[in-house]
Amino acid sequence: MSTEEIDPTKEVNRIYVESTIIMTTVRLVVPFVFAYGLFVMFHGADSAGGGFQGGVIVAASILLVGFAFGIDATRIWISELLTRMAIVTGGTIFVLIGIGSVLNGGAFLDYSAYGLDKTGIKYIIEIIELAIGAIVSGVLIGLFFTLAKGDMRSGEDEQKSAESGQDQEATS
Amino acid sequence: MLVTITLQAVLFLALFIALVAVALRDVLNSIIAFAVFSFAVAITWVLFAAPDVALTEAAVGAGITTILFLVTIARTVRPSSEELFESIGWRGGVLAVALMGLLVVTVPSLPAIGSTSAPIATAELTNYYLENADTETGVKNVVTAILVAYRGFDTLGEATVVITAGLAALIVLRQETFL
Amino acid sequence: MLELIGTHYSYFAYVALVGIGLYAVIESSNLVKKLIGLNIFQVGIFLFFITGGYITGGVPPRVAEGGGPYVSPLPQVLILTAIVVGVSLTAVGLALIVRIYEEYGTLDEKVLSEAQINE
Repeated sequence: MSTEEIDPTKEVNRIYVESTIIMTTVRLVVPFVFAYGLFVMFHGADSAGGGFQGGVIVAASILLVGFAFGIDATRIWISELLTRMAIVTGGTIFVLIGIGSVLNGGAFLDYSAYGLDKTGIKYIIEIIELAIGAIVSGVLIGLFFTLAKGDMRSGEDEQKSAESGQDQEATS
Repeated sequence: MLVTITLQAVLFLALFIALVAVALRDVLNSIIAFAVFSFAVAITWVLFAAPDVALTEAAVGAGITTILFLVTIARTVRPSSEELFESIGWRGGVLAVALMGLLVVTVPSLPAIGSTSAPIATAELTNYYLENADTETGVKNVVTAILVAYRGFDTLGEATVVITAGLAALIVLRQETFL
Repeated sequence: MLELIGTHYSYFAYVALVGIGLYAVIESSNLVKKLIGLNIFQVGIFLFFITGGYITGGVPPRVAEGGGPYVSPLPQVLILTAIVVGVSLTAVGLALIVRIYEEYGTLDEKVLSEAQINE
């Protein structure tokens, strides 16, 4: 363990250390974790799970990619438009389904106003679960990258994923 | 009986790990102990027959919260010191013991754990949801049915809280967009 | 007394967690450890709610043919929302900590309070 304070502005602490083990493992594991997150989102109606759990697992899989390949590289790969669109689309779908039931004569978010049988209501619930999953995963991914960038007007230039370097240094 | 003994063991382990997380001085040690604490609590939720809560606690507590903590101490500073444990402060100790004493006085009046005459477990509303969730919504998981169908407005409020937290983090850090 | 601990063990665990969390929030000098204490406090409150809805020998609230006594789903719904609100709170708190570090250069509470007195 180091005995002086770790200063993130020093050059030695900001170098992103490439580790073949982490990169290979993440490259193998991340598609399965992402698929599992989507499964939990879709299958929340019939077993444990749902929108929140699935959204968090999907966000965690993207953050794993951030650990392995560097935060700046991942930031370029996940385009900013995709994250923003995920949040906006999820929120809009949720509210539009609610307003749609008001237009059909019921209360806000009253699914029986659509006049569907119970299978139709199950499809509406699935769509809302997907919307919630999109919101949660978009916000959590955005929060991670925002925290990693830090305060933008302090005059320092961007970190080169000092967090990977920090973890490796901390566990050595 | 086996479930009870396992529950007591896991709860005791979670308490011990929480004490360790608070007592260690280095903040990285505390974060790692907090991740283990989240796992122990997730196992507790499974033993209490709450699998949705266990999934959420494991993913959120041991996953996202730990990752965010690690990014924060990588972005700021991890102060080093020579000692392993924190020093005991008396102000916090007196206040914590006072609050614990107040709460412990109320514990004997609560029903025993798992008793079938507990008010939450036998309420009319609970029976209504358990019987009618499948026929009215077609969803077998009653927790999802309540979250999205019967109490959907609260879920909309929760989605609003999540989005607002993202916006608040952006404003505090003076950035203009995510990523 | 011992029998009371035997039948109410998780209520005593929740009181202990609340006490540990409160102590960490008040007494830690590092700001990140205060947030860890806040999360421990929240987990204690969740424990209180979920043990309220538990039935001995109960199964999770997923309706199946001829299932046993179902555990009450209402506290679980409440706690699900509360966990997500808790992570949002932690995220905003961490953003504030990063900003405080950029302004003052330290995360120690005692140094920060002296810096604010001298401003």
